[in-house]
Amino acid sequence: MIWLAVIVLPLLLAFLLLRLESSQRISGPLFFVATLPALIVALGDFEGIRIDWLLLETHFDLDTPRRILLILTSILWATASLFAGFYIKERQREFAVYFGGAMAGNFGLLIAADVPGFYTFFALMTFASYGLVVHSRTKAARRAGRIYLVMAIFGELFLITALYLAVNRADSFLLADLGPAIAEDPYGVWIFLIGLIGFGVKVGAIPLYFWLPLAHPVAPTPASAVLSGAMIKAGLVGWMHLAPVGLVEWPAIALLMMVLGFTAALGAVLVGLAQVDPKTNLAYSSISQMGLMTALLGMGMSGNIPPELLLPALALYAFNHGTAKALLFLGTALPGAVGGIWRIVMWAGLVIGVLAIAGAPLTGGLWTKYFLKTFLGEVALPGSALMLQLLTISAIATTLLLGRFLFLLGRIKAPETKNPPPYLFPWIILIFAGGWWTLNSVLLPFELADHVTKGNSLAHFFFSFGTIWDSFWPVALGAALLIATQKWKVLNRWPTAEPIIPPGDFLVFLLNSWGSFIRMGKKLRPQSWFLHFEHPDRKLYGIVRGSRTKKFSLGAEDLLRRWEVVGICFILLFMILFLILR
Amino acid sequence: METTSYLPLLIVVSSLIPGMLILLLREEQIALRTILNLAGAVAKVALIWWVFLGYMRGEEYTFVYALSPNLSFTLKIDQLGILFATLSAILWLVTTLYAIGYLEGGSNRRRFFAFFSLCVTASTGIAMSGNLITFFVFYELLTLATYPLVVHRGTEKAVKAGLTYLWYTIGGGSVLFLGVVGLFVIAGPMYFGDVDTIAGLMEENKVILTILFFVILTGLSVKAAIFPLHGWLPVSMVAPAPVSALLHAVAVVKAGAFGIVRLVYDVYGIELADEMSFLTPLAILAAFTILYGSFRALFQNDFKRRLAFSTVSQLSYIALGVAIPGVLSSTGAIVHLVHQGLMKITMFFVAGNIAETYGYYKISQLNGIGRLMPWTMTAFTVAALGMIGLPPIAGFVSKWYLSLGAIEAGSYWVVFVLLGSSALNAAYFLPIVYRAWFLEPDENVKPLQKIGRFETKLLLLVPVVITAILSLTAGIFASVPGSPLFLAREIAEKLYLP
Repeated sequence: MIWLAVIVLPLLLAFLLLRLESSQRISGPLFFVATLPALIVALGDFEGIRIDWLLLETHFDLDTPRRILLILTSILWATASLFAGFYIKERQREFAVYFGGAMAGNFGLLIAADVPGFYTFFALMTFASYGLVVHSRTKAARRAGRIYLVMAIFGELFLITALYLAVNRADSFLLADLGPAIAEDPYGVWIFLIGLIGFGVKVGAIPLYFWLPLAHPVAPTPASAVLSGAMIKAGLVGWMHLAPVGLVEWPAIALLMMVLGFTAALGAVLVGLAQVDPKTNLAYSSISQMGLMTALLGMGMSGNIPPELLLPALALYAFNHGTAKALLFLGTALPGAVGGIWRIVMWAGLVIGVLAIAGAPLTGGLWTKYFLKTFLGEVALPGSALMLQLLTISAIATTLLLGRFLFLLGRIKAPETKNPPPYLFPWIILIFAGGWWTLNSVLLPFELADHVTKGNSLAHFFFSFGTIWDSFWPVALGAALLIATQKWKVLNRWPTAEPIIPPGDFLVFLLNSWGSFIRMGKKLRPQSWFLHFEHPDRKLYGIVRGSRTKKFSLGAEDLLRRWEVVGICFILLFMILFLILR
Repeated sequence: METTSYLPLLIVVSSLIPGMLILLLREEQIALRTILNLAGAVAKVALIWWVFLGYMRGEEYTFVYALSPNLSFTLKIDQLGILFATLSAILWLVTTLYAIGYLEGGSNRRRFFAFFSLCVTASTGIAMSGNLITFFVFYELLTLATYPLVVHRGTEKAVKAGLTYLWYTIGGGSVLFLGVVGLFVIAGPMYFGDVDTIAGLMEENKVILTILFFVILTGLSVKAAIFPLHGWLPVSMVAPAPVSALLHAVAVVKAGAFGIVRLVYDVYGIELADEMSFLTPLAILAAFTILYGSFRALFQNDFKRRLAFSTVSQLSYIALGVAIPGVLSSTGAIVHLVHQGLMKITMFFVAGNIAETYGYYKISQLNGIGRLMPWTMTAFTVAALGMIGLPPIAGFVSKWYLSLGAIEAGSYWVVFVLLGSSALNAAYFLPIVYRAWFLEPDENVKPLQKIGRFETKLLLLVPVVITAILSLTAGIFASVPGSPLFLAREIAEKLYLP
């Protein structure tokens, strides 16, 4: 029953809070309580169950990677619940509905072991988080919400296709059977590619990421934190279910994922550096980090890395990134609210978060980055040596990007008050939930630790000079670069008021270039036909609602309404089709 | 075949008698009429429940009345029939409640309820018909019983719509008649399920049996609103909301779809139909109708018209599922008979509620309506998400089986059609949901009449909540024994037994 409680409790709460006139003080702790079954399931050792009456026979189960992700997810939702309880001031009831729905979906998709169940919760999460994105009801939020929704539906269509095909090939509704079936099928590559696109939308993979820097930042801060920390990982889970890691040798797919991954890792940093809004900066950092995870999963498709090692490594990487990213996202609410002595705590926490993502010494990030390094050294693919270099560069770049984030936060004026806001405290809890957990023997499979440390003890590995230096210098270099740009005017080219590249980069670029193309055309030939396409959507509606269309379509319908015409045509049509096709 | 039970007859009569009695009442005997109506509806549900339980235990229910040596009026309970009869009975009860609330204070209610009962008599008759002739009788009765309901308002527009409706359905009926008689001449009284008869005659009468298949299919396609025979459906949405709801969910359109299911599965047999490649033309037309209906729906600003085009599209899911051989797609087709009914009736109730309470008929007027009518719009949201095919709502289950069936049969193009339809469904339903929940209502909007404690009249609100809950539970509890999916799966599995 504990399995059911994981999903029922948040849903029930979402429903109850809608009915009761709730004050903000209770909803935070209540949602916190609703996350506890998930944490219990993740930490405890419960046997998987089958629920005959739910959907098309739902199975709940956990394996190591999903267990790690469930711990991450429950920690993030727990903190975000407490945070939101204090932080959300307007439209609390609506927020509670969408928050609870997304929470149930996010937990459910992790514990589901069958395809219909997984898809149900995935869709629940996707559509409930639309409400979180548009929560503020501002113009920017509505625009981001629209783009989010279109992309989400686009992704849904692809991922459900991949799932249909995989289920058909596996002849089973169980997720665990999909990977092997895809591996054996001659067209398995294509099924996987379709899934890559479908879940890639959620992951924010190139070229499907452009909704992400629009949607993640406009959501209220606690929602951004779970969007970027936990929900973004749902796409990764989908990939992990479909990917036949260790069962196939698909060098092309492996290379594709690695190239796309590293392009995202470095490219997103470049665009992120051009931002002025700290949350957008973080969103780009998420794209960049998800890029590295894409590359890591891609390595698994090259054939010689066993899934027992790779998948937990991937989950642990996600764990480190998730906790730190949520810490930073929630942290964006603090500089304007935390005063006095508490600012020291605040800055210390933020710096820890940044260091953890950048992979600085003594953080969980160092450890998880070593997974990437180890496996990258083992894949026998062209370009993997270059990618090792890129990995180091990405550490420098990430430090630069997140350093810039800290700088952006520093620009926010400190408040007069000396008292901290109540939501500082859940945030402090999150600092302790950070990436070090990834070294915990509960989470870390022994073989993986052994594999990465090459048989040495963890402590020996962690405190050795070599590892520390290897991870120290890229971070130091990144920090030094940032300081240099602040010190010397020549180098200080940072944008201050407007981002150099608008968030949503290439989508905006596309839309803008279309606009300027039209404007140019207008100047050259004011009467030209293609001016009709200035607003393609409006033009479409013009045609649709226009009187000529109406007349035409009514005429056509009238003709169709004449029985003697239709009836004869119809029988003829049937017969012709029959004769052609038989 | 011999009579083993009078229960099938009782089920049919349970709505016929109230209908007749209502005609004898005076217009102002409201209480008595309401009691008669509800008694009939409740009795029908109870009887069907009884038969349903009996059937699950393995009992047989057949009623035969011989008209001539080889022509008989036969009512028989089989799985497909009980599924459709249960749907009709439950939705009739719900719609009766709704209609009582909706027509409160209206004129000609005696006529309305009398024909309303007759209409349901016909549709349960269709469900339980044991042979093609009986089916045809009820099928035509349905046409005639529905006409007064479509023109109920008596406006010029309604009369015109009624005329269109008659043209189509009578036309379709005569074509069907041609086919049924032709088949009778060649194959005798076609008892449903007796597929060997036709299979045995196929060798000798290949051409004529092929033509008859398509003739009957054409006749049925009118009510099933398959392009290009769908024209009557969007027009006849001028009928009052409860009529549209029933028309689009269980009565007329479903009779057509159900007929197609019977024709392929129980008259010609799926194996033979597949072998003779009768099914591909049907699949292509159904697929085209799915996309065409969705596409037309996109451009309707009138709420009910948009729903009507959506019905055109959704109904063809059933035909498409029938046209693809395989257990999975047959399951999808049969279960969609029920699921589409539950979801679509919810939507029409919602449209009726909004029109009754605030006088809004256009989608562009619905800004913030979720704020004013939260229960109604929650019900709509559930149904709309289900239509798109999102879990855990009923529509997902249908699409799941249809798509898997299509893949299994190697018809990958069908998956694209279904996905395209999902995308189009999202494109025309989600804007309504968005308007309702995420836009602000007009500040000085007031209900047309005093509405009391709830967001609208209780008799309008309860049915919509019930059908929405049914749509949701049909999905969430899809695997429970006795669920629509459970029955559909059993029927489908039986079809393909060697």
